[in-house]
Amino acid sequence: MSQKRPNFCGRTRREFIWQTGGGFGAAALSSMLGQDGFFTEASGSDAVNLNPLAPKPPHFAPKAKSVIFLFMYGGPSHIDTFDYKPSMNGMDGKTVEVKTFGRGGHRKGGRIVEPRWKFKQHGECGKWVSSLFPNVAKHVDDIAFLNSMTADSPIHGSAMLMMNSGKVLSGSPALGSWVNYGLGSENENLPGFVVMLDPSGGPISGAKNWSSGYMPATYQGTVFRTNGAPILNLAPPEGISLEMQRKLLDSIQEANTTHLSRRAGNDDLASRIASYELAYKMQSTAPEAVDLSTEDERTLSLYGIDREETKDFGTRCLLARRLVQRGVRFIQLYSGGAHNDDNWDAHGDLELNHNRHAGRTDLPIAALLSDLKQRGMLDETLVVWGGEFGRQPTAEYAKGSGRDHNSYGFTMWMAGGGIKGGVSFGTTDELGSSAVENPLHVKHLHATVLNQLGMNPNQLSYFFGGLDQKLVGVEEVEPIHEIIA
Amino acid sequence: MPSYPITKWFGLAFAIGSSWALNAQDINAQDQDINAQDVVDFVQDVKPILAKHCYACHGPDDAEGGLNFSTQETAFAEADSGAFAIVPNDASASEILARVISSDEFDRMPPEGDRLSERQVNTLRRWIEQGAAWDEHWAFKPMRESPLPKVSDPAWATNPIDAFIYDSLNSAGLRPNEPSKRSDLLRRAFYDLTGLPPTAEQIQEFEADTDQDALMQQVEQLLQSPHYGERWGRHWLDLVRYAETNSYERDGAKPNAWKYRDYVIRSFNQDKPYDQFIAEQLAGDELDEVTKESLTATGYYRLGIWDDEPADPLLAVYDELDDILTTTSQVMLGLTINCARCHDHKIDPIPQKDYYSLLSMFADVTSWGHRGNQRINNQIDVSSDELNARYQANDQAKREVDSAMREIEQVGIAKMSAPDQRATEGPPKQRQEVLNGKLQDHLDEEQRARYEELKKEKQRVEEESKSLPPREMVMGLAQTQEPKQMFVLQRGSPHVPGDPVEPRFPEIFGSESVQPVAFESESESAGRRRALAEWITSKDNLLAARVAVNRIWQFHFGRGIVRSANNFGQLGTPPTHPELLDWLALKFIDLDWSFKEMHRLIMSSRTYQMSSQIREDAVAVDPNNDLFWKYDSRRLSAEEIRDSILFTNGSLNENVYGPSFYPQLSREVLAGQSRPGSGWGQSSEADQNRRSVYIHVKRSLLTPLLTAFDFPDPDLTCEERFITLQPAQSLALLNSEFVHQQAGRLAGSMSLDKMDDGEVVRQAIHLVLSRDATAQEVKRGCELMDELRAEYSITRERAVELFCLSVLNWNEFLFLD
Repeated sequence: MSQKRPNFCGRTRREFIWQTGGGFGAAALSSMLGQDGFFTEASGSDAVNLNPLAPKPPHFAPKAKSVIFLFMYGGPSHIDTFDYKPSMNGMDGKTVEVKTFGRGGHRKGGRIVEPRWKFKQHGECGKWVSSLFPNVAKHVDDIAFLNSMTADSPIHGSAMLMMNSGKVLSGSPALGSWVNYGLGSENENLPGFVVMLDPSGGPISGAKNWSSGYMPATYQGTVFRTNGAPILNLAPPEGISLEMQRKLLDSIQEANTTHLSRRAGNDDLASRIASYELAYKMQSTAPEAVDLSTEDERTLSLYGIDREETKDFGTRCLLARRLVQRGVRFIQLYSGGAHNDDNWDAHGDLELNHNRHAGRTDLPIAALLSDLKQRGMLDETLVVWGGEFGRQPTAEYAKGSGRDHNSYGFTMWMAGGGIKGGVSFGTTDELGSSAVENPLHVKHLHATVLNQLGMNPNQLSYFFGGLDQKLVGVEEVEPIHEIIA
Repeated sequence: MPSYPITKWFGLAFAIGSSWALNAQDINAQDQDINAQDVVDFVQDVKPILAKHCYACHGPDDAEGGLNFSTQETAFAEADSGAFAIVPNDASASEILARVISSDEFDRMPPEGDRLSERQVNTLRRWIEQGAAWDEHWAFKPMRESPLPKVSDPAWATNPIDAFIYDSLNSAGLRPNEPSKRSDLLRRAFYDLTGLPPTAEQIQEFEADTDQDALMQQVEQLLQSPHYGERWGRHWLDLVRYAETNSYERDGAKPNAWKYRDYVIRSFNQDKPYDQFIAEQLAGDELDEVTKESLTATGYYRLGIWDDEPADPLLAVYDELDDILTTTSQVMLGLTINCARCHDHKIDPIPQKDYYSLLSMFADVTSWGHRGNQRINNQIDVSSDELNARYQANDQAKREVDSAMREIEQVGIAKMSAPDQRATEGPPKQRQEVLNGKLQDHLDEEQRARYEELKKEKQRVEEESKSLPPREMVMGLAQTQEPKQMFVLQRGSPHVPGDPVEPRFPEIFGSESVQPVAFESESESAGRRRALAEWITSKDNLLAARVAVNRIWQFHFGRGIVRSANNFGQLGTPPTHPELLDWLALKFIDLDWSFKEMHRLIMSSRTYQMSSQIREDAVAVDPNNDLFWKYDSRRLSAEEIRDSILFTNGSLNENVYGPSFYPQLSREVLAGQSRPGSGWGQSSEADQNRRSVYIHVKRSLLTPLLTAFDFPDPDLTCEERFITLQPAQSLALLNSEFVHQQAGRLAGSMSLDKMDDGEVVRQAIHLVLSRDATAQEVKRGCELMDELRAEYSITRERAVELFCLSVLNWNEFLFLD
């Protein structure tokens, strides 16, 4: 390792690359090049692979190795799904005094919209779940519900940023970026942070939601497509087979090796040679990862891929499982995209909206949990479900069942990855308007995710702008111990 | 599933976040023999230990047991216990040492967490034994003119830069590299100053030029090229987080942001003195002479992110101001004052009060806008007097004809029925309906004729109005506000204001500046920003010149003399050549803050002209090249790569300035947006061939080819770009539509029917790498094309295209020696 200069922590951006990558690779790289017949005169150099995604050790033994974040974009209504409010029964249309804050601003009260779906108790734990999620309901004994979530903003733009990066200001790295920064990737042939979007479009603010902010772009989320080449620029243009490309690549690598041989000791050049080999491998591993032809019919059916309604989200859930199997650290699936009723943002017709989105996701999500469990993967895979906020108990408009945004109280849930099942933590008031018992903030959720991955949320930091930046902010944050097995 | 591999490297690999930084330091320390004779540096060695391990309880916020290690006075004082933590020259009397090594759980310090390492304890002990000197951080001391070192090699004695560098190498027993190859040198100079390569012909000419001044003549020409401003302006745009949209849900456009970008490029091309450059951006509306240019410069205040519907509007106002203060202080002063927003700076002597006092300097800066009117605060009308006069005349004519028409209308209306009369007093649309239908009937002939005339006149005036050239607008500080009283905000929250503060400069800059700033103007603007600009650019400012010359050095050598270019505080990296830094800073002021003079000075040095060859003997002593025994080779930046590809095939459109263009983005890239294609325009092919600095910077849709090669996130100031080497880059250069299109153009630029394959190879290498091909390259290139054609039955044209593509992927094309 070349860094000799002792100083406190003021490493510069360039040194950062040197150090993150440092080490992993001398051996790996020279063996890789050796196999391919490269490295002649330059073999004496202590080549370093600058791959910042090289695996790194956690702070302590992790419970989870991967995270699947099922992002219900737009904000599902908690009181219509997993936060049972029996006292609202029969209250539909009654005026109530309650403080709310959404896109329509601050209000002091309004007309109650009684939850539109019937609730039933499920599992040994007896969790009340609405009829929107009959299949997920079968898994309540594996799930920890966080019924007292809160966030800093009830406005999509800043709330999305908060759920994804911990801050309402844009420019900070996403949770998936932090995970990859902290742990690296186990599969160098695949990105460590994968995002799969809804066919209706991306969420608002687009790529800002999976940006690596002030960290290198290496840590940003890579959008995976379910049709065609999964990653941008992955496939050679038409008319160029992989075999043909190998020929081109060999020619490039030969020129590069000759170039390097006269510049012995230049690690950057060696790394760039290695990056071509990684890119080439990615061209075969990534398509393999998204190729569902090896999955049996029973599995496809389990995920609902044989039904129009659930085909899309089911496909993405199955891909998520396949990516976890291949060592991808952090996978984010969006349910819903674009605007209005293309996502969970039920301002108009609550029933139409939520029936649509729950209908598309309930079966696939349940399938994902079953499948992970039967394969023994659930213990090591943390599944997170939720949106950027919840919805209000009262109507947004004079008529109709639409609910405005609510960041004072909402529900998210976690399963697997060392999380206790059959638990509900925290409560909202009897209208579900705001958290009352054990209020939780987005940063607690983030802290729990990091903790399950074996990282101390208060230690995982990145020096930028004169500060040790942390996903969870400057003040110490505890993970949610009550839901940790 | 693979298991978690653990190797001995992890302590280091993880050291970036700085929570583990000390681990790295410890590991490093084990390789190094601590020489007991070495003088311990308080700032570098001791203070970080105190800050990291003791400040939490015995620091600026808390002084448990009456002990506070953040100032000399309190650290040396008697604690509540009666003991003295630090007794200079007396290790055994210094309680701190007893405590950090104590194994008693009630005595031990720190009470929780990791113990100090043996090395850290030794550092403390030796520091105390050596007298516990409580020195000041180098950057908070005035600049010092050091005598030029005397060096034995006369070749290294001509340029003062060389004398400093040679001297430091000499002390380490090192010698500098030989001068670079002429061709490498010219490439280096071209890219450094313009971001574009020289042609093969230019290199040949230069190699043949035996004039001693040949290089400097080239430098001179490059400095006169308008492309100089494009390259150096881009460095500044990185620093000030230049973007053309606001981020957040709507990511709305910033109209005329490109005029600020052009202002920056032009300023560099004109070699505008840096002090003036700063003053225009901070106070372009408050200067003695306010011009269109200086108003455009205030676009500086309009570059940041802006949430059009913040959840906490009051906090959002302070977030916006913090963004400006953070950028200003890091970019112009190398200070992370932003760390003191919520509490006193933990390491640097910047109390929270200083943050808010400095923030008061920006108290008249309005927000980007508000939802109701997103233009009024940020669009300044800078139309010419002549155009203003034409608009005024037109307005006047419109008023006159309207008034004359109304007069006749009222005569007619007076004769109408009561409901009709009432209707004309309603909304304009309703009035017009009545007039259209019934006015005629209530006018006499003369009135009717006159009214018809007036209608024609009105039409003429309206047409004239439409034909006037648009008003000229620039983005900037269009509205200021009455400066509001600022307070220290508890934990940074505007909902919990504490003591009021007055505008003033931070304490670390000396007692004189602690006085509230006096303002010249009370009327139109507060004059505070002008006072700030004058203070920053005053010759005695401790940091401004140092920070600026450090950046100039950084963009020539790949790293600053202070590597942490935005942070000259104690958490930054210390200068590798402090005397040289001060010498350059004083010289910069002396040369009237001229960038171009600094380029001349630096590029004429042997230090700059050294080869990048890696020598094992030097690596053994100085692996990081801290002492500059070689020139560090570098990968081209994102813009340089894209521009060079366009340049080599002759399609680069070298037009300078003007509105930004939209490169074609693929459907899959646009699919990431909630409204695919929204906010992304279509540009002509000619525009798409322009240089990358003119690409529209949309915060939520950055151009993938640029981000793959480390174009920075524009939300926050970027002092230095990352240089990553990752598979996504290789994929972009192997498979992207852009690169294939450009390789096709490169092949298309050759007259293939008149050339054999050997000539094709020679021509491609000539164009892409600006040199002659070797025999081996010609042979291999021909073989590649033969094989591609034979094995994959492709046309010769296609084979040539693919060969061209392969050369664009060569390391030689992407790296500078």
